[in-house]
Amino acid sequence: MSHSQNNYYTSRRQQNWSRNQNTTRFVSSVKLGPVAHTVLVALMITVLGLIYLTQATRTTGYDYESQKIDSQIADLNNQKSDLQIENARLTALSTVKSSTVAREMTTPASTEYVQQ
Amino acid sequence: MKLELLKGSRTRILAAVILAIVAIFVVRLFYLQVIKHDYYVGLAKAEQESRFVIPASRGEIYAKSGPDTVPMVMNETVYTVFADPVTIKDKAKVVETLRQIAGGNVRKNFDALLDKKDSRYQVLATKLTRMQADKIKDVDLSGIGFQAISQRVYPEGALGAQILGFVDTTGKGQYGLEGYNNEALKGVDGYLKAVTDVNNVPLTIGNDNISQPAQNGKNIVLSIDRNVQSHVESALAAGMQRDGAKKGSVLVMDPNNGKVLAMANLPTYDPANYNQVEDVAAFNNDTISAPYEPGSDVKTYTLAAGIDKGVAKASDTFNNTDHIKVDDITVSNATLGHTGNITFQTALLYSLNTGFVTIAERLGDGTNITKSARDVMYDYFHNRLGLGDLTGIELANEASGTVISPDAPDGQGNAVRYSNMAFGQGLDATLIQVASGFSALVNGGNYYKPTVIDGYMTDEGFKQNIPPVPLRANVVAKTTSDQVKEATHDARAISFGHTDKSGYYVGGKTGTSQVIVNGQYSDNETIGTYLGYGGGSEDAPRYVIMVQVSGEGQKLGGAQDALPIFTDISNWMLDYLKIQPKG
Repeated sequence: MSHSQNNYYTSRRQQNWSRNQNTTRFVSSVKLGPVAHTVLVALMITVLGLIYLTQATRTTGYDYESQKIDSQIADLNNQKSDLQIENARLTALSTVKSSTVAREMTTPASTEYVQQ
Repeated sequence: MKLELLKGSRTRILAAVILAIVAIFVVRLFYLQVIKHDYYVGLAKAEQESRFVIPASRGEIYAKSGPDTVPMVMNETVYTVFADPVTIKDKAKVVETLRQIAGGNVRKNFDALLDKKDSRYQVLATKLTRMQADKIKDVDLSGIGFQAISQRVYPEGALGAQILGFVDTTGKGQYGLEGYNNEALKGVDGYLKAVTDVNNVPLTIGNDNISQPAQNGKNIVLSIDRNVQSHVESALAAGMQRDGAKKGSVLVMDPNNGKVLAMANLPTYDPANYNQVEDVAAFNNDTISAPYEPGSDVKTYTLAAGIDKGVAKASDTFNNTDHIKVDDITVSNATLGHTGNITFQTALLYSLNTGFVTIAERLGDGTNITKSARDVMYDYFHNRLGLGDLTGIELANEASGTVISPDAPDGQGNAVRYSNMAFGQGLDATLIQVASGFSALVNGGNYYKPTVIDGYMTDEGFKQNIPPVPLRANVVAKTTSDQVKEATHDARAISFGHTDKSGYYVGGKTGTSQVIVNGQYSDNETIGTYLGYGGGSEDAPRYVIMVQVSGEGQKLGGAQDALPIFTDISNWMLDYLKIQPKG
């Protein structure tokens, strides 16, 4: 433990606080000059730009997904329409009249009515 | 050493030049970016943005089938296959594929069209189904393209063609419901304005994207019952074949609300192939667009006016001499011999013109069809019962017909005309007008506007219109209505009652009207009609049927030619509506 004398009063508490301080300061030997700083800033801007582009592209990707789903919906609607038309044709009066079941029907010999 | 640019030195000149160039750049950039900002932004947007039309789907048309609804007109996407002969690589493969898949849809000699190298567009096949188009697409032929087209499809074929009308190649509704309700059926196209990529795929980027959804056309549900319509068309066709008539029309309506249940005209056409029709007259719905002189059917109107005004009853008598003089003309009966004191009921039974001219006279001073008599007749025929006036039915090309007012200039509405009107001549009316007025005469006296629209089909299902209310209430008194019903029932029962199913209450009136040929009433060309009603009892007529048969140069009668068609339909209606017989 080193000790020095000075003309200023130092409280005991302060002395205690300073008691475990490192006495040696390490200085990094890597020195960044102005060019390195510029390059680093440029890199950071590039990274940020890429992040922005990634997000923007992802949004566009959703557009393609959305269009694909819209296309599927349209296809399914078309199929539904085709089936509805087919159903309408199969249940059309002319089809029903010419069906085997209809051809085998006969007129009732007599009709009785339930009194209401 | 002190360095300085010497005046006029090359360095100084270079600096000045550079400065000038920079200044030019600055000025130019200012011009482009600030002054012309909006212009270039517009150009950029025009290149980046696309506007897509979102086509509205045309409304479908439904009919009733008892309590259910069934589609009559739907939309179907079909495909046209076209080729760019210049880019076709394998002609044989194209020909073989189209023959196999498109079959009868290919154009004649379509393989020759592929050799027309001076053309970039040749239609090879039309109206292909989606399935056919998909199969051809799977083959992956170069130089072949597809164009999707929406077209109307008619599952019930030609049933009710003149009610429906058709949609022409420009997408506009023509005739019938399609023509009258074109605006409601076609809907409103939507649009999408958005930034797109190179493949024209809309992207969400951009601040000016606009999406306006399409408003599809209304899906209309008709009051027409397809079962009634089908039977009416069959009965009319069979009747016309029996009679040899060239033209025929039938109208069936519910007298208690004005809803039209069937409207048939022959000859007719197939709306899916409307472009193959040779005579465009087939497009017309004669029940609403062909006014004619209704003839003796209108005697029921004259009788109703007389009863309602208290000047006649069916049981009242008059002296029939088979001829009656009105001003300078003599009106004669078509059926002669029932002379002497006879009742108006007898006059109705034998359709004696003199009886109804007499009623017209009694509406005046008793011996003349005075101005006040003519005013009364005009009031009943035109104002109350709607003859000679558009009914407002929701179908295209309705004609109004003509009922000359007593106040018409040049004395057109004179006593002679009104004596003719008393038995259905001297006025023009359509079947829909005559049947609607007659409905009021037999339903207790309330005139309903005839309609073919029962409601609309929504995403939630069938939404029925609110029940109709009379357009004109009490056009005749209830007692008058009862007497007209009884008179027409008795008239039918005596001569034709045996043809009706027993236990039902059916009434009607024949009409045989002469046609004006070269300005004169012709004895060799007549139109036969029958107008009647039916139901379980006298209190509740359930339907009104009007039949008309005609043909150029043909002499057709109400009793002989039109009545059997009425009877056929009437007896079928009693079963179809499950009406219980009385007793």
